[in-house]
Amino acid sequence: MTSIEEQIKEMADRRREVAEKLRFFDAGIWLGEPAGFPLAHELPLGRLGEALRERFLSGGLVSHWYGKVSAQDGNAVLMQAMEGCQEDVYAAWTALPLLPGESGRLPGAGSVPSKVKAARIFPKTHNFSLTSWCVGGLCEWLVSRHMPLFIWHVETDWKSVYELARTFPKLEIVVETQTQKILYHTRPVFALMCDCCNVRLELSNFAGQGFIEYAVREFGAERLIFGSFLPVNDPLVPMGMILDAKISETEKSLIAGGNLRRIVNEVTS
Amino acid sequence: MSDAFIVDAHAHHGRPGAFFAPESEPEALLKLMDQLGIERAIGTDHVSVFEGCERTLPMLRSVFEQSGGRLHYLAVFNPKRASGCVEALKQAMNWPGFAGLKIHPSFHGVSAEDARYEPAWRFAAERDVPILTHSWSASDYNPAQQLSTPGRFEPLVGKFPKVRLVLGHAGGRGAGRHEAVRLARDYENVFLDLAGDIFCYRLVESLVDSVPVEKILFGSDAPWLDPRSRLSHVLLADVPASAKARILRENALHVYRIGAKKTC
Repeated sequence: MTSIEEQIKEMADRRREVAEKLRFFDAGIWLGEPAGFPLAHELPLGRLGEALRERFLSGGLVSHWYGKVSAQDGNAVLMQAMEGCQEDVYAAWTALPLLPGESGRLPGAGSVPSKVKAARIFPKTHNFSLTSWCVGGLCEWLVSRHMPLFIWHVETDWKSVYELARTFPKLEIVVETQTQKILYHTRPVFALMCDCCNVRLELSNFAGQGFIEYAVREFGAERLIFGSFLPVNDPLVPMGMILDAKISETEKSLIAGGNLRRIVNEVTS
Repeated sequence: MSDAFIVDAHAHHGRPGAFFAPESEPEALLKLMDQLGIERAIGTDHVSVFEGCERTLPMLRSVFEQSGGRLHYLAVFNPKRASGCVEALKQAMNWPGFAGLKIHPSFHGVSAEDARYEPAWRFAAERDVPILTHSWSASDYNPAQQLSTPGRFEPLVGKFPKVRLVLGHAGGRGAGRHEAVRLARDYENVFLDLAGDIFCYRLVESLVDSVPVEKILFGSDAPWLDPRSRLSHVLLADVPASAKARILRENALHVYRIGAKKTC
């Protein structure tokens, strides 16, 4: 082995060791066939545990691509897939603003299985508005159960997220950086984070130079949530941003999993 | 870091207008390079990317000199200002730190196969310098990417077989990747860099399986993307250390003909 190869091995070992110690807990693990990503392959449930361990993930929130096609059916498929799953994983259900008489497996009315720890909405795909007269009932239900609301930034606009966060200050909103990187949106995102302390940012596509240090300095490590978008994206990307960040070990630990674990633990079913 | 050895083959510096970047000046990049073990970076500034190299090369040379020879630069050839760019290139060709040409069909609005790029290719062929180009997949939300899909470069790649062409971003996240891999397999003079938001799961493993490892270069796209996002992606990938050494250093030194202190 050459001296450079030895250096590479040492750099990798050091990162591996820190990654194991931080126990990354992933907000964005997806089952089913990825839609709109021609190079991505489905992660078979049988490979989930192996895929998590191989990328130093201790567990996380699992979603199903079918939830984007049909919320009720996607949630049912997800729960079926997760039956007997031994990993430290929980479900993120797709939610809709419920109308009277609407049935199926949805968050928003009554109780949900205890494994369900988050709700995600797709306002553009499912054709509804992110205004309180439309999603108010759902938001109140989520607040009553301390359940966080996840939303891809491409599924809404910044003004709507801002207004929702101000209208429901007790609602935990996690803005996910999919399916396009956060870069051209830094000004509205950072302004939103400044004004609305109930908004957190998921990090799978938040990879601009110095972004982590800036966000920790300006908003605090409590506001950042590790997510990978596995199996479309590689967890090593956002992980690398945290492993090499110039922030304290405590801050790294919060971002890697501490924040999301706390949120998940507070959800009442 | 005294034992820095990594070469970042695709970086930028300067304040980008299109977004807020907390760190974008050369000093910030150098500081990050020190932290991460990056010995040198090859790239250009944002003004050059938009305009071309006519008025920016002296500034880039000065940044190289002030960086202690660590921030090498590429001269951006804008096909809409071809003659001015070629004149500037002739002047800068032998300056310290000059590493090659860069083209960006999507920014300049001129498709990659357009004959207006020929002066750049001819210049590169006559002087044995490489060309780094932006490449991407056709995109629904950014139609200009259609101008930089890898297949469009093929006529000029074939016409100038001695010119080393680096397809920046390895063709992007979509169908462009397949085209980029095909070109890197079929043509000795085509290389791929890892810069940009191609964060695909097992990207490094998949490229190492698909093309000769000599064809893959580490790149960050700083400050658009932080080098830290790509570094662990390579370091922790399930490929041999010898392949990582080629990707992180040797391939860039070979393609850009940069002399270096260390050898493997």
